[in-house]
Amino acid sequence: MSKFLASLVAATMLVPAAARAEGTIEVLHHWVSQSEVDALNVIRKDLESKGFQWKDSAVGGMSGANAQQALRSRLTSGDPPGAMQFLGWEGPQWAEQGVVRDLNDLAEDGGWREALPPQLLTFVTSGDAFIAAPINMHRQNWVWANKKIFDEAGIAVPKTWADLIAAGKKLKEKGITPVAMGDEPWQIGIIFDALLSDLYGPEFYRKVAIDLDPAALNSAEMVKVFDTLREVRGLVDDNFVGRDWAVATGLVINGEAAMQFMGDWAKGEFLAKGLKPNADFYCFATPAKVPTFQYVIDSFGMFTVKDETVQNAQVALAETIMDPAVQKGFNLIKGSIPARTDVSVDDFDDCAKLGFNERAEAIKAGSMLGAMTHGFAAKPEFASVFGDVAAQFFVGNMSSDDAVKMLVEGIDNAR
Amino acid sequence: MNAAKSFSSRLAGWLPRIVVAPSLLVVIVTVYLFILWTGVISFTSSRFVPVYDFAGLEQYVRLWATPRWHTAVANLFIFSALFLFLSTGIGLLMAILLDQNIRAEGFLRAVYLYPMALSFIVTGTAWKWIMNPGLGIQKVINELGWTSFTFDWITDPNMAIYTVVIAGVWQSSGFAMAIFLAGLRGIDNSVIKAAQIEGAGLPLIYRQIIIPMLRPAMLSVIVLLSYIAIKSFDLVLALTNAGPGSATELPSTFMFSATFRRNQMGVGAASAVMMLMTVAAIIVPYLYSELRERNNG
Repeated sequence: MSKFLASLVAATMLVPAAARAEGTIEVLHHWVSQSEVDALNVIRKDLESKGFQWKDSAVGGMSGANAQQALRSRLTSGDPPGAMQFLGWEGPQWAEQGVVRDLNDLAEDGGWREALPPQLLTFVTSGDAFIAAPINMHRQNWVWANKKIFDEAGIAVPKTWADLIAAGKKLKEKGITPVAMGDEPWQIGIIFDALLSDLYGPEFYRKVAIDLDPAALNSAEMVKVFDTLREVRGLVDDNFVGRDWAVATGLVINGEAAMQFMGDWAKGEFLAKGLKPNADFYCFATPAKVPTFQYVIDSFGMFTVKDETVQNAQVALAETIMDPAVQKGFNLIKGSIPARTDVSVDDFDDCAKLGFNERAEAIKAGSMLGAMTHGFAAKPEFASVFGDVAAQFFVGNMSSDDAVKMLVEGIDNAR
Repeated sequence: MNAAKSFSSRLAGWLPRIVVAPSLLVVIVTVYLFILWTGVISFTSSRFVPVYDFAGLEQYVRLWATPRWHTAVANLFIFSALFLFLSTGIGLLMAILLDQNIRAEGFLRAVYLYPMALSFIVTGTAWKWIMNPGLGIQKVINELGWTSFTFDWITDPNMAIYTVVIAGVWQSSGFAMAIFLAGLRGIDNSVIKAAQIEGAGLPLIYRQIIIPMLRPAMLSVIVLLSYIAIKSFDLVLALTNAGPGSATELPSTFMFSATFRRNQMGVGAASAVMMLMTVAAIIVPYLYSELRERNNG
């Protein structure tokens, strides 16, 4: 036997060792930053302990738009990945195309519907089918504040937007930038979404951002929302153009700015500097009579594939994601809270606990809402019109009446 | 013997065609077939994924009713016109100045040409900070003592498109200079000497003799810079990300966001077809006149 043959045999002997795994699943996602990868490893380890292999396909960039492109070409060529991270309407829209696997049996056995907030089901079900397993939940409508600045100026946590704007004006007179932010439409959209539900209640938000009700869109309340947005613009410094959200968070941390409106991914920036919630910084929901919880979730959907080993791996992955222990481990690293409502958050930080409790209240009070700016209310073609109008209004001199007119026309044009 | 010879001569005749065929096929499929496909999509009601129904001109109507598209089209004309005019003008001026037998010409030429070696992403990011009023030029000059100086175009929706022009011109005028310089070197010195003997001054020589003789270089510069202007997607993305608001939207950024981020594949395809038509409206007459000249000559 030649040396070549011997090495060939040796090479083939290695294969069974790797193939001992029950099956391999390729997971397409857009998480590439360190904390995101670390969080994913919680899922990966649990899956591997069940004997399945995780094949990582990370496509970063453009808030997931690049990963979506990768998926489109994979589906067109008839070679979908085993699982894919879904944001917003992506899951239901792919399900309508008939390419997503129905996980209803798993959901029934695992009691997923009971364990999840009912408002979430829009984005993880399609008809009777259960199409995605949600791993985490971010809240979009947080305010992050520098405690030292608040305490020195004698400012308490504001209870209404009028309080918040008054506090901002007071800080501005003292030479402190009240609000740190950038000019990206989604950063402006976070404030716009919060104003919609905070000023006129969750019902108004639903009519405007979900039902696209023409009367609500073209109402005096809408004008008032833009008026308030204009007041918030007065609290932002003039150098906000081109500023990254994390840079804005840094301004709050350094004491150059007092507060920032941002989802709870901003919390990681504070924690990474060794700062403690309520001791060094405040976290509170955007002020409202009924505090709203505007959620953003990441879920994983499975595509219809022929390979049985992949099918088995899909089941294992879905069960792993919905495992309360995995959800806890994942979210401790990611900075979000578990999508399941029955996971204990005792080990989490104070902001996560506050979010967890306010979510329970919001579910009861009906103020649990999908965050439009991140794709969890109106479909993208409409949500982007809100984003355009709010951003153009915010950076320019448009009047509130013109903004409402532009919004109504834009929505009609996209219908 | 005879058969073999005719085979080899036939092969020699076919060889060029066989060699070119694969690349031709690739170009036909990846360029022209997809142009055709985009055209088809623009007449359908496609949103999230392509659907093949017939929606008539619905997407074009929707496109032209979108204010952002109007901004994009206006910006393309402002940007292209200023970018072409300034890059060509500054490039020509620099080439003429460098052509005066000055010392260290090779070094200076490299300095001016070097920005071309950067990608637009780098240019855009650097100029984003240079033109930010709180970090760049305005801050430096204010701190030097001229406190009333303002340069905040990048924050002003009405002026932001000009910041894209500034960054683009900075990057590309050195390139125009290099081509003009090569053109200037190709001009026969005896022509200039003859004009000098006739008593013509230097400005007159440049205006009446040298610049007209640079016509071929001018054409290459304009054609190449037009391409850069139309595909300047990455510069806008890095410099302003189409903002503030959507003030620096260009047709290319509009097309990308409509197709890939906004569930409006049909509108995106319609905008792509409009871009193709615009380019064709400029290029086709140019090609026609060039080809006709060649046939005559």
